[in-house]
Amino acid sequence: MDLFLTAAQIALSPASILAVLSGCLLGVVFGAIPGLTFTVAMALVVPMSFSLDTAPAIALLLGTYIGGMTGGSVSAILLGIPGTPSAAATVLDGYQLTRRGKASLALGTAVVASAFGGIISLIVMVLSVDLVAKLALQFGPAETFGLLVFGLSTICGLAQGSLLKGLIAGVLGLLVMTVGIDEMSGLQRLTFGTVVMQQGVSLLVAMIALFAVPHVIDAFVLYYAEDRKRKDKVMNVRAELPTVRDIGRDFWLMLRCALLGTGIGAIPGTGGPIAAFLAYAHARKSSKTPERFGKGEMAGVVAPETANNAVTGGAMIPLLSLGIPGDPATAILLSGLLIHGLIPGPMLFLMNPGEIYQIYIAIVMAYIAVVAIQLVGIRFFVQVLRVPAHLLAVGVIVMCAYGAFAIRNSVFDVVSVAVLGALAYGLSRVRIPLTPIILGLVLGPAIEREFRTALILSEGSPTVFVSTVPGIFFLGLAALIVGTQVLRAIRATVNAQKEKEQPRASVTPSE
Amino acid sequence: MSERPDQAERREDILAGSLLMIFSILWVAVVWSTVPVGEGVGPRAFPLWLGVALVVLSVLLLLKGLRGVYPAVEEAEYAVEPPVSIVLRLSLVVAVCVIIAVYGFLMQKIGFLPATVITVAATLIFGLGERRPLVIIGMALGIAVGAWAAFGQLLGAYMPPGTWITLF
Repeated sequence: MDLFLTAAQIALSPASILAVLSGCLLGVVFGAIPGLTFTVAMALVVPMSFSLDTAPAIALLLGTYIGGMTGGSVSAILLGIPGTPSAAATVLDGYQLTRRGKASLALGTAVVASAFGGIISLIVMVLSVDLVAKLALQFGPAETFGLLVFGLSTICGLAQGSLLKGLIAGVLGLLVMTVGIDEMSGLQRLTFGTVVMQQGVSLLVAMIALFAVPHVIDAFVLYYAEDRKRKDKVMNVRAELPTVRDIGRDFWLMLRCALLGTGIGAIPGTGGPIAAFLAYAHARKSSKTPERFGKGEMAGVVAPETANNAVTGGAMIPLLSLGIPGDPATAILLSGLLIHGLIPGPMLFLMNPGEIYQIYIAIVMAYIAVVAIQLVGIRFFVQVLRVPAHLLAVGVIVMCAYGAFAIRNSVFDVVSVAVLGALAYGLSRVRIPLTPIILGLVLGPAIEREFRTALILSEGSPTVFVSTVPGIFFLGLAALIVGTQVLRAIRATVNAQKEKEQPRASVTPSE
Repeated sequence: MSERPDQAERREDILAGSLLMIFSILWVAVVWSTVPVGEGVGPRAFPLWLGVALVVLSVLLLLKGLRGVYPAVEEAEYAVEPPVSIVLRLSLVVAVCVIIAVYGFLMQKIGFLPATVITVAATLIFGLGERRPLVIIGMALGIAVGAWAAFGQLLGAYMPPGTWITLF
C-alpha cells in the first residue's frame, strides 16, 4: 500500500499531469488529422521524453498512445478517413451517421465508448496480468496463425455486397505486404533490385493512400460536379453526448466488446484494427437489425470504438509481463520505457513494482484527460467541417504529403502515396472495398511469419495447425465464417437466377 | 443516367476482373522468375499462393461480369452520382497525384514553408479556379504557418528546410 501511495504521489505530480495532458492532446490531434497517425506522434514523443523524469515520460507516452487511439475516431466519423488503422472499422457506420446529419451524436458516443472500453480493459489488465501472460506464453506460432486467419476471415463479414470483391481486396492487401526483404530468409522479393523497395510498402503510406487520397479526389470531383447538397447537413452539427438511455441500450454490447478488445489486445501480433473489425462483425451478427449496419447504425460506432480502446489495456499485458509489443505503437512505447531503464518482462514486476503502479495510474489519468479534451475539442473539430469539402481537401493534401514525408523523411514515400492513392481510387470506383485491404496489410506479415515458423518447428508437418485446442478452435471458426458466407453468396445467386427467369416466363412481353 | 445501374455494375466487374487478372498473372510470372524457392515453405510460397489466389478470384469476377445475373437495382438504392465525364474524372485523379508528388519534391528542395504556400495557392488557383484573393492568401499562409508552428515548433517535428535554398 505504501508503494502504491508513493507511486500515486509521483504519478499525480504537476509535471506528470501536464505530461499526460500534452500527450493526450498530441495523440488526439494526430489521431484526428487524416494522414497523421498516433504512431507518428509517439515516434515524435519518444525523443522528447528523453529529457523528462521517468514518471512524466511514462505519462507522456501513455497519454499519446491513448489519446491517439480515441482521436482516430474523430476523422473516421467526420471525414470518412480513419485517423489510425484502429479506427478503420468506425468509418463504416460513423461516416454514414455524419452523412445523415448525426455526426455530433456519433462523436459523443465514440468518446464515451472509448473511455468505457479503456477503463474496463485496465481493470481486466490489473486483475489478470499474470494469468493472461501465462496463457499467451503457451500460444505457439501455429495457434497465433490460427488466430490471425480467424481475424482475416472477418473480411467476408465486412465486404458489403460482394464476398468475391471482399476476398479480392483481402488478398490484394496480403499480396502487397510480401514486397520487400523476406524477414525469415533475408532474400529480396519483388524489389526489382531497388533499395527503396527493400523495406516494402510502409503501412502508414498505404493507410494515407487508401483512405486519404481517394477522399481528396472525391472532394474535387464533387466540386466540379457542383454538388453542394452536403453543405447544409454540415452546418447544423453541434456537440451532443449520448443520453444515459442510449448508453444503457448498448451497455452489454460495450461490455462484450471491451472484453473482446482486451483479449485480442493481449495476444501479440494482433491489435486495434483486428479487435475493432471483430467487434464490428460481432455487433452486426448480434444485432436485431443487421441490415442497418453500414448505413449509419450507432452500434457500428460503439462496438469498434469500445474494442480498439480496450486493446490499450490488453496490449499492456504482454508488453509489461513478457516484453512483447503487439503493434508498432506498443513497440515505440517499449522503446520509450527502455530509455528510462524499465525493461518490460516478468522481472519488471519484481524490480520496479512502483513504476507498474505509475503506469496504471497514468492510464486512468489519460482516459480522464481524453474525455475532457474530446468533450471540449469536439466543438472545435466540428468547426473543421464548416470549411467547404474542396478547401478542406487542399489541407488534407498537405497532411497526406507531409505525413508520408515525416515517416522517414523520404520523397519516395510521398510519391508512393500519390500513386497508390490513384490505384485505391480506381479500386473504389469499381466497388472493391478498401477496408479488407487494410486488414490484409496489417495481418499479412504476421500471418506469413507465424505460418512458416510453425512449419519449421514442426519440421514441415502441416498437422501442427490443428494439433492443439486453440489452433482447431480459431481455424475452425475461420472456416465456419467463410463457409457460411460462400453458401449465402451461392444461395443469393441461385435466387437471383430464379427471379430473373420467373417474370420472363409469366408476363412482361412489353420489354 | 443513360444506362441502368445493374448494367453499370456489370461493366465495372468486367473491367475490374480483367485488369486484376492481367495484374495477378504478371505478379505470378514475376514472382516465379525472380523469387527463389528456398527450403520448405520458402520466400516464394506466400507471394506465389496469393498471386494464384488472386488469378482465381479475378477470373471468377470476370466470369460473373460476363455470365452472371445482376439483380435489377432500384434507382433510389443506387448511390446517385453527379454526372462527371470520364475525362474530367481521370484528369482530376492525375492532377491530385501530380500535386502530391510535386509538393513532396518541392518540400525537400525548397523547404516546408515555401513549398506549402506555393502548393496550396497553385492548387486553389489552377486546380479549383478559386479567385478570391483573401481565400487564396489566407489558406496558403494559414495552412503553411499553422502546420509549421504546430508540428515544427510546438511538437518539434522535423520540417524539411530545403536543399536548394535555406530560409529557416
